[in-house]
Amino acid sequence: MGKKTKLEAIDLDAYYGDFHALKSINIAMEEKAVTAFIGPSGCGKSTFLRTFNRMNDYIEGFRTEGQILIDNKDIYQKDVRVDELRKNVGMVFQKPNPFPKSIYENVVYGLKIQGVKKKSVLEEAAETSLRRAALWDEVKDKLHKSALALSGGQQQRLCIARALAISPSVLLMDEPASALDPISTAKVEELIYELKNDYTIVIVTHNMQQAGRVSDYTAFFYMGELVEFNKTKTMFTSPKDERTQNYITGRFG
Amino acid sequence: MTNSDINRLKDKAFHIFGIFCTFIGLVVLAIFLFDIVVEGVGRINWDFLTSLPSRRASRAGILTAWVGTLWILVLTTLIAFPLGVSAGVYLEEYAKKSRINNFLEINIANLAGVPSIIYGLLGLEIFVRQMRLGGSLLAGALTLSLLILPIIIVTTREAIKAVPRSIRDGSYALGASKWQTVWNQVLPASFGGILTGIILALSRAVGEAAPLIVIGALAYVPFTPSSPLDEFTVLPIQIFNWTSRPQEEFLTNAAAAIIILLIITFMLNGIAVYLRNRQQKKIKW
Repeated sequence: MGKKTKLEAIDLDAYYGDFHALKSINIAMEEKAVTAFIGPSGCGKSTFLRTFNRMNDYIEGFRTEGQILIDNKDIYQKDVRVDELRKNVGMVFQKPNPFPKSIYENVVYGLKIQGVKKKSVLEEAAETSLRRAALWDEVKDKLHKSALALSGGQQQRLCIARALAISPSVLLMDEPASALDPISTAKVEELIYELKNDYTIVIVTHNMQQAGRVSDYTAFFYMGELVEFNKTKTMFTSPKDERTQNYITGRFG
Repeated sequence: MTNSDINRLKDKAFHIFGIFCTFIGLVVLAIFLFDIVVEGVGRINWDFLTSLPSRRASRAGILTAWVGTLWILVLTTLIAFPLGVSAGVYLEEYAKKSRINNFLEINIANLAGVPSIIYGLLGLEIFVRQMRLGGSLLAGALTLSLLILPIIIVTTREAIKAVPRSIRDGSYALGASKWQTVWNQVLPASFGGILTGIILALSRAVGEAAPLIVIGALAYVPFTPSSPLDEFTVLPIQIFNWTSRPQEEFLTNAAAAIIILLIITFMLNGIAVYLRNRQQKKIKW
């Protein structure tokens, strides 16, 4: 690969109580590339995605064994502060989840909770992030209107802008387009393509075409195991594992 | 008659029965209200509202009673609001599933059903005697706070529960702590619901006489209270006192005081309904 490894899992196991959700996962993901996680529902891909910003911490009975490394640092060490971690690792969810506040307040929320108060700083960050999320032109005249009045696609791009505003280096996306119409989906995909110049992106998707279009690498998960991980082109043209082949050709899942 | 005719008849019969059941309570209440208004409305004037109590019915007023009720309302809000909301937030957002927390939850639900006179006895022992507050406004407000605390806790939890998980996730994912998430997202989004619950709880507290009589609130207070440690009376006690007198004129006074008390509770309920509607309009998930 030659490029720098940004995200890495070493012998990672994860459990929800007695349920063994992830089974000794080993993977190394390249910096400033898009990696897609695919696999049937319940295969552990979302669980795995959420270990990178420790969003599973709140679930009772959840625990991990093994290591998750970001920039070669184990993020499950005791001295890691979760809020610091999440400043570096942004997340976009399946269903757009804007806060019931104005568009502006949504974008600057992450900065405000870090204690940034200066209006000029906040306003500049809001504009920059909205521009990066390709939403600025659509909302610049109604920044102080409710975010809930936006369309679903706009809401999702607002959520992306919100994540970008705190300048993360990693962006986790959990089926970011699954609740959107085709045109909005195309916009989000274009955006992902743009953003990979500056961010390391991991995207969970159920949509094979989408994985094919936006990602550089693809990881196929099945029943809590990482079955296959390769360049997307290679994986889609000549999968090594039979299960991968069956899944991407639509024989199950 | 065919089967479907019979079904339709049954349907109609229940329809009428349902209307009857719905109206029976309302009609009884309406008759009562009508009776009270006819009896008391003529007695309400400026003097009635601004006069001190008196042994002569025609000179007696409810100044001390409604001022006392307002004091109680404000003090009870100041005590019960922060306690109840904090407890609700703790149980809903912070508490992990454990035996102790289960025990707490079940008992809070139980407390909501404890008769108010029991709270009066509790208040008498703790606030009046142990804390030596006497039959003061503060003792009364503390007692009523205990009485409505379970209601506030339960409604706070319901309101918080209605805030979708995704809002919390969005906040956490941006690096917010639990407290920041509660303060910036969960509470603002559920505030209408919480406020509605508190107001309804207060309108219950305003109508209570029994626990306050137990802690020693007086029927005859010849001055308006000027500090939380003063003795006091409230409208329900004044009404209770007047209705137990033999003279006809005092019954008229009682009817007039009931009208004032009802106006206060209806106003509180009206505010609650208004807030709930506004909240529903503002936020659609």
